[in-house]
Amino acid sequence: MRLSRITKSFGTHSNVSRAVDDVSLTIERGEILAVIGENGAGKTTLMRIAAGELSPDAGEVLRSAQDDIGFVHQHFLLVPELTIAENLALIERRFRFATRKTLEREAVRMIESSGIELHEVSRRVADLSVGEKSKLELIKAIATKPSTLILDEPTSVLTPHESEELFRVMRTLAASGTAIVFISHKLPEVLAIAERIVVMRTGKVVMETREATAESLARAMTPQPPLPAHGERVRVRGTLALSHGNVQIHHHEILAIVGVAGNGQSELAEELRARFPHAGQIPEDRTRDGVIAQMTIAENLALRGVRDAERMIELYSIRALGPRQLAGDLSGGNQQKVVLARELDRRPQIIIAAEPTRGLDIEATSFVHERLRVAAAAGAAILLITSDLDEAFELADAMQVIYRGKLSARMTPEEASSRVANLMAGVA
Amino acid sequence: MKAPRSAGFQPAAPPPSRRPGSRDNRRQDAGVAAGWKPALRGAAAVLFTILLLALSGAAFGHSPRELLSILITGSVGSTFALQGTLLKSVPLLLTGLSVVIAFRAGVWNIGGEGQFIVGALAALLASRFGLVPSLLAAMLAGAAWASIASLMRLWRNAPEVLTTILLNFIAIHLLGWCVNGPLRERTAMYPQTDVALATLPRLGGLFSGLHMGILLAVLASVGAWWLLYRTNEGLRLRATGFNSSAAKWAGVNVRAQLVRAMAISGAAAGLAGGIELLGVTNRLFERFAAGYGYSGIAVALLAQLHPLATIGSAFFFGALVTGAGELQRTANISAAVATLGQAVVILVLIGFEYARSRR
Repeated sequence: MRLSRITKSFGTHSNVSRAVDDVSLTIERGEILAVIGENGAGKTTLMRIAAGELSPDAGEVLRSAQDDIGFVHQHFLLVPELTIAENLALIERRFRFATRKTLEREAVRMIESSGIELHEVSRRVADLSVGEKSKLELIKAIATKPSTLILDEPTSVLTPHESEELFRVMRTLAASGTAIVFISHKLPEVLAIAERIVVMRTGKVVMETREATAESLARAMTPQPPLPAHGERVRVRGTLALSHGNVQIHHHEILAIVGVAGNGQSELAEELRARFPHAGQIPEDRTRDGVIAQMTIAENLALRGVRDAERMIELYSIRALGPRQLAGDLSGGNQQKVVLARELDRRPQIIIAAEPTRGLDIEATSFVHERLRVAAAAGAAILLITSDLDEAFELADAMQVIYRGKLSARMTPEEASSRVANLMAGVA
Repeated sequence: MKAPRSAGFQPAAPPPSRRPGSRDNRRQDAGVAAGWKPALRGAAAVLFTILLLALSGAAFGHSPRELLSILITGSVGSTFALQGTLLKSVPLLLTGLSVVIAFRAGVWNIGGEGQFIVGALAALLASRFGLVPSLLAAMLAGAAWASIASLMRLWRNAPEVLTTILLNFIAIHLLGWCVNGPLRERTAMYPQTDVALATLPRLGGLFSGLHMGILLAVLASVGAWWLLYRTNEGLRLRATGFNSSAAKWAGVNVRAQLVRAMAISGAAAGLAGGIELLGVTNRLFERFAAGYGYSGIAVALLAQLHPLATIGSAFFFGALVTGAGELQRTANISAAVATLGQAVVILVLIGFEYARSRR
């Protein structure tokens, strides 16, 4: 497949932003191509054009007739009310009769042939964890046997183990001739799996390479150097202790709850949200529960009584046209910054942050981390629910593991470093 | 823990920083319905509908030009016609606002008809205490009737789209029972009630046939706009309607919001019934509601759920009903053409929306 001189802009009137700017790209059969870049660099837009979901303003997409594209989106295109089996059955467009049993048998077969692990196909999708939903999306895409498979940030909700599983599947598919495009901004995994890497920045391809190092890629992705490391943090144990089940959180402290996605984190976050409605809350499902897309930045902030939107945009370095821009028009990272401004600016005493950096790029991730550290230093008690171990070890003062809905005992990060892997797998 | 914020109103957004000439500022000012585009779409849908109606008349041997001219002179061509149109617009505006508020909050209140009826019943019963108590009773009754549905939603998760419709039937039959039984006029001549003991004062001058309800209705739509776009309550209400799951994470009590939106919505429909009784019919009879509650849905959709646009939308539907009456009298075409028009407008709008989503 070949893309030639593609340009695409969004917005109207004076408010145009060029998402993809004169990009040409060839995708070969059987190769694994990584497209990387910061949030808003145009990766997803370019791939949606390649898949025919968007039409370019200028340029051409050349595809051969038998080309069939599978696209796994960052957000889920599943019907939550239906079961896994029923969702998979939706692939079949022809009219036919089938019993629930038949559908489930077919689903099991589809899942087996995809090489991805997913059990109990009679479960409703609404009850699945984010990791499982993303696996289901993958299975759905693979089941159509596409000649090109586009994966948009597929690993952001997977555990390291699950990511490995995904990479194995990708290699097998590539070996059988499928072209695979892998959109990501996690450099280590890109380096591990991709045969060719294309780096995008502000709508343009700035680098195309077969041999790269993490440093050269990071330089190409971000124009400015990453934020400097933070200074040493003052740690004070507060006196007020709150408990939720067997969770104890203290002021001035970040407690990380780690675990493989789907072990009860969503339920825990939901319970905490209901218990502490005035806590700062960073929702797990960013695309659904983050900002209210149809309302302006100012309105989103005002939901928590945060008034000075102009100042917030500056303070949280939100890349936006102004307080009256619709929040839905912002890139994912900037939407998350609006959520941070809304939730953290009123200095809540408790902060519940569920997967706060999932799917964010390096810059936005370090920004979120910085903000959480600052909030903890200012006295907040922070409960960080994350499936990203690196994040947990970077931020946490204390850790607990969640496995099948049960929390382990409280550990220091030092204790955790030797035990956490076993606890997450339920071995210990 | 921080104390809950006071429930007092505060501006939904900081006062707009007026940058003269800045187009984006105006375009994204949600307070005025995100610009003129929705208004243009609405106007285009109206024109398209009128044309379609006239052309379909041609299929049955009428001259489209003549039909159009009857429709227009019959609705706005004279003071008398205009007065008729305005009288019809008042209840439509209020039931339209009722739907705007409910739909903005993501609550499917299809029960305008029932709330309209119980509002009128309460207004009749309270009319002996004077005009203002009578109107207040209408609003309260509408709110209470609607709240049956929202409370059932909270207790048993009963979908309000069903319960509100079912409550319509109950209200319709309640009215039927009342006018045939306990509230039947003293002379017992017809199945209707005695006249209400209060009436809305008339406007003077050219429009002496019009009652004060029209001012109340316009005031209500300004009030609804203010509520939705200039208060905290409106902000949370819209947030709930757009994305209730995200609103929950932003600290909105979604369940309470549902109850309040439903009550406000019911109050507007109840007020419509009260005004119709005290301003136009003076009595209640079985077919009193005449579909005003259901038409409110069409009014709100044509206004694209904007409270100020609802004024224009209600006027259009009022004119359509009045014009259709004239068509029936002079060209012998069924007045059902007005209902047809309601349906066509909505279908045209959906067509526009579809075309827009394909771009």
